[in-house]
Amino acid sequence: MATQIIMDLNGDTRHNFDAKDVKALLEAERRFKALTGAGFTAATRTADGEPVVTRTFDPTAEETLFFPRLVGG
Amino acid sequence: MLAKLLCIADDQLRRLLAACSRWARAFRDWYRRPSTSELRGRKLLREWLSPEQLAQYDTHNYFEVTGCHTGKRYRIRHGNGANIIELDDAALPRTGWCFVPRDPLVAGDVMLAQKIALETDERGALAVANNFTPR
Repeated sequence: MATQIIMDLNGDTRHNFDAKDVKALLEAERRFKALTGAGFTAATRTADGEPVVTRTFDPTAEETLFFPRLVGG
Repeated sequence: MLAKLLCIADDQLRRLLAACSRWARAFRDWYRRPSTSELRGRKLLREWLSPEQLAQYDTHNYFEVTGCHTGKRYRIRHGNGANIIELDDAALPRTGWCFVPRDPLVAGDVMLAQKIALETDERGALAVANNFTPR
């Protein structure tokens, strides 16, 4: 089961989906494009746990984290 | 007789004050308890920290990251603003940096976004950041 984690006011919202299910995968890709299009950064982790920013949808990613665009505080 | 009554009153007053003190402490703990959102943010942060960063965070309430472009060290303190300190070679504070996610988020989420930004796109993060003199 793959997961997309979106940071929000509640801490985060998680969308779990079966990466072998074509319909679920398309929905995950649509969500990825919508979020990155809205300025969110998508990040995954390597096997060593290092974060990697990804610009394109990776259907094999177990976990993708989205956080809003960064601004000066 | 009067002395005895005063002694009893004094004892009762002490008991009452002790009880009030306990109630005040309990109320303070309840009031300061982290919200569900904050707990969720902390959990997510802990999942993404390296073992070294997690140990540091548990001990000091901050963790350090290495900038991917310059190799500089940054200390991210628990908080959701003005919480990043660039360290010099002696691990002393050099410059404070402030950048945060555009949307309001809990501290754990803010810190995680800051960590990922510095570890994957240090220059991009600092380009939008404001700096300040650390105390």
